Amino acid sequence: MGSIELVCPAGSPAMLRAAIEAGADSVYCGLRDDTNARNFPGLNFSPAELRDSVAWAHDHGAKVLLAVNTFARAGAGDRWRASVDAAAGTGVDAVIVADLGVLAHAREAHPGLRLHLSVQAAAGSPEAIDFYAEAYGVKRVVLPRVLSVEEIAALMREITVETEAFVFGGLCVMAEGRCALSSYVTGRSPNLSGVCSPPEAVTYTEEEGALVSRLGGLALDRYAPGEPAGYPTLCKGRFDVDGGLSYLFEDPVSLNAMSLLAALRRAGVTAVKVEGRQRGKAYVARVASAFRAAIDALDQGVDPAPFERLLSDLAEGGRETAGAYRKTWR
Amino acid sequence: MTGRAAPRRSGAAAVVLMALRHPAERLLTLALRRVARRRPDVFERLGEAGDVTFIVAPSDLPVAFRLRPGGGSGDVQVIRAADETPRAARISGPLLTLLALFDGRCDADSAFFSRRIRIDGDTRAVVALHNTLEAAELTLADLLGVGPPFRDRLNAGLSGALNRLRPAEGL
Repeated sequence: MGSIELVCPAGSPAMLRAAIEAGADSVYCGLRDDTNARNFPGLNFSPAELRDSVAWAHDHGAKVLLAVNTFARAGAGDRWRASVDAAAGTGVDAVIVADLGVLAHAREAHPGLRLHLSVQAAAGSPEAIDFYAEAYGVKRVVLPRVLSVEEIAALMREITVETEAFVFGGLCVMAEGRCALSSYVTGRSPNLSGVCSPPEAVTYTEEEGALVSRLGGLALDRYAPGEPAGYPTLCKGRFDVDGGLSYLFEDPVSLNAMSLLAALRRAGVTAVKVEGRQRGKAYVARVASAFRAAIDALDQGVDPAPFERLLSDLAEGGRETAGAYRKTWR
Repeated sequence: MTGRAAPRRSGAAAVVLMALRHPAERLLTLALRRVARRRPDVFERLGEAGDVTFIVAPSDLPVAFRLRPGGGSGDVQVIRAADETPRAARISGPLLTLLALFDGRCDADSAFFSRRIRIDGDTRAVVALHNTLEAAELTLADLLGVGPPFRDRLNAGLSGALNRLRPAEGL
């Protein structure tokens, strides 16, 4: 059984270098526009920065994967095609794509370009994955974060392409690629605009000692003094319904599936992925370092348990979960 | 320390620091403009947030800093912490945490989740500033406008001091 590949996020060239120096085998990043799902101000790469970073990564034995993983909008498809063309010109090792039209363009215009299917495509069945592999030559599928480890193992027995599974970071609760909650309030969504809860629609105010987060003027949560806070997303909002206050969709928690690394490897997963291009150098250095140590321990037949608690303070809301990988309610 | 002594001491410290503000303002403004000259990529990444007025307010100091990036003609002013001067965005937290955020050794989201830092006003500008600093790899020597040959020695010294203080600050 071979080692599992560690794929880490990079929101800037500096973060890319930090990830690789801390032990990432591959780094994924995006260009500075809405063709990727982390379209935040000040984040991402210019084509020139991407070219230099790819060269630096290759010199250091690492790969670079470019996310062009939002859905192309009618009348604006040129931008998505241009991103794929730019990727091909910079020597990236693969492009991560969700949209059928973008996949078709990549396949036709750059037949040598390796294609990974984004988590945004939500391909979680053998039939769906086979379709992408046969129609577009997709070599790897990033699995939607709705499958248990047992379901992944069953899936792997029926497919021939590589798979990549998220193991750490922010956790979306909706079916991958189909969340429009942010659009209802702000007009922009991660799948189309590359941004969930765009920062221009977010405000924080102190009210009677509490921190109140709002999106588009709607209150999402009210944190008591000292209470850990979460991201300002509707899915993590705490609402008063029929006199009861609760998180209707999902608690503010982060994914940490380090304890399931061995099971994911046994299931046949090729690579594990860390979320968080919008975080920074300190975050990616710590996460990459901890997962590098855990993967190396696994490779040497050593229990990686000592590394599992190293990252708890990075979690949204100060809490971690294994997410759908452990569906105890099923 | 009694309840009344603390505000009196803080008020006295504010008077002293405000009296000494001009050299600090000059030093920080020159450092900002030097970065603008030498690293135009930083301001390009900052985008529209370069025209925004930020207040950076160390919660353990009686003074705050008003930052106007403004391309190559920006400036930094020292103001009283309680000064409600017009601004687009405000970032506050312990000084050591803010310094650790500046040079990228502290994860900003974690600092926010744990309530060690607070932001209000134009969230988009704050996000742009954070992402720009993350990418810029500026050091504490850049903040003080110190160049070679003292830059590396100063960075090593300041980093060492910051690292020693990190556990106490929860960094």
